Amino acid sequence: MTQSTQSNAQYLNQLVLQVAQKNEQAYLELFDSCAGRLKAYAIKCGSNPSDAEDLLQECLLTVWNKAPQFNPKTASAMTWMYTIIRNRRIDLLRKEKPNLLQSFDLWPDGHIEQSQPDDFTSSDLNDDVESDLNAKSVRILIESLPEEQRQIVYKVYFEGKSHSEISLDLSLPLGTIKSRLRLAMKKLDNLAKEQMTWLIIILLTNF
Amino acid sequence: MANYHPADELLMQFAAGQLTNALGIQAACHLESCSQCQHKVRLYEQLGGDLIDISSPVDVAPDAKSKLLAALHQQQATGERASIKSAAELSLDAFYEEQLSQANQRLPKPLRRFVPEYYDNLPWKGLSKSIQSYDLPFSDEQYTARFYKIAAGKELPQHTHNGNEFTLVMSGSFADLSGDYHPGDFVLADHSTHHQPKAHDKEDCICFAVTDAPLKMTGFFGRMLNPFLR
Repeated sequence: MTQSTQSNAQYLNQLVLQVAQKNEQAYLELFDSCAGRLKAYAIKCGSNPSDAEDLLQECLLTVWNKAPQFNPKTASAMTWMYTIIRNRRIDLLRKEKPNLLQSFDLWPDGHIEQSQPDDFTSSDLNDDVESDLNAKSVRILIESLPEEQRQIVYKVYFEGKSHSEISLDLSLPLGTIKSRLRLAMKKLDNLAKEQMTWLIIILLTNF
Repeated sequence: MANYHPADELLMQFAAGQLTNALGIQAACHLESCSQCQHKVRLYEQLGGDLIDISSPVDVAPDAKSKLLAALHQQQATGERASIKSAAELSLDAFYEEQLSQANQRLPKPLRRFVPEYYDNLPWKGLSKSIQSYDLPFSDEQYTARFYKIAAGKELPQHTHNGNEFTLVMSGSFADLSGDYHPGDFVLADHSTHHQPKAHDKEDCICFAVTDAPLKMTGFFGRMLNPFLR
């Protein structure tokens, strides 16, 4: 974990909190730092370049509209934007098909996309320990996963592939795919437990 | 509190927004009442954020920023979407509001839009006296979604599965050789599962089943039933 990724996460949190105050300058900065990666997500999920631009527009408009609900204690800005682009992607896909299902059917209470803001102002951010933890956590893991496990996680997130499809794709036995994914999951789980432990320690020492 | 949960892989696919209709709604129903799985989904959402975070940016259209600002200013000028919720979400809120006075409010939220009544009043179709079904309107190319009602104390014919069957217990309870299942429990049966579920004596058991291939009855009476069970 380098200092810069951590402060980058804080920088993004800060920007979204400023966007919540209708700060257009912060919005443009957010665009500059994230638009290219958000569009890359759409492309990796199989959008053609023009649909990817549409998804990006939808996503960023939603970011503006929902910024007042962003709560860095619940999730980092990037995680929050991930849930937004994931949901807009689901909704755009359904637009073209006569399909009943919308993202709000799957996340009726919005989960972190619409988590309750709790009187949070940007000035609180600097001493917000929990957001540090949010910023750190999984990223260490994804970077530490061996390439073979990372590849499978990618295919689940971006290509929506099932295990058997991944096994065909990579010409590997189904059992191998399953055990690699299970290993990745186990690491994640351990990390989550570790994260909870730290959170508890920090909360205890703060009181 | 559920004792049986969806596999981590399924929760990851859910967090990735990659589940098909039927499985997606089913997972959402389990999640509504399972804080343990909610916690995992949050973790996988964080993983999704991190995947974006570490990815390399691609070029965006040169006019993307100006288009976005134009859309934003237009929205501000017209006051359109001044609300933090989209039009679709607002109409959904109104829908839930209306539902509050209605019969199906005891259903998990993800189902209320699709199921008009609570279990007692649904137009069940009888396969036999002991088992009835109700087709859910969100089956997809890959998966069929239905409710099954096993009458209190009744046993299904012994059967196995050609494909996968994901079962979420909605009300009542049932047991088979591998366990005792209660509301919120999420069970996966596949071709290796050879079972004969039996509803508990006290009340009917309602299950939300998502199957990717028809059941295959293996007992004698079961084999006779096969042509009628799609």
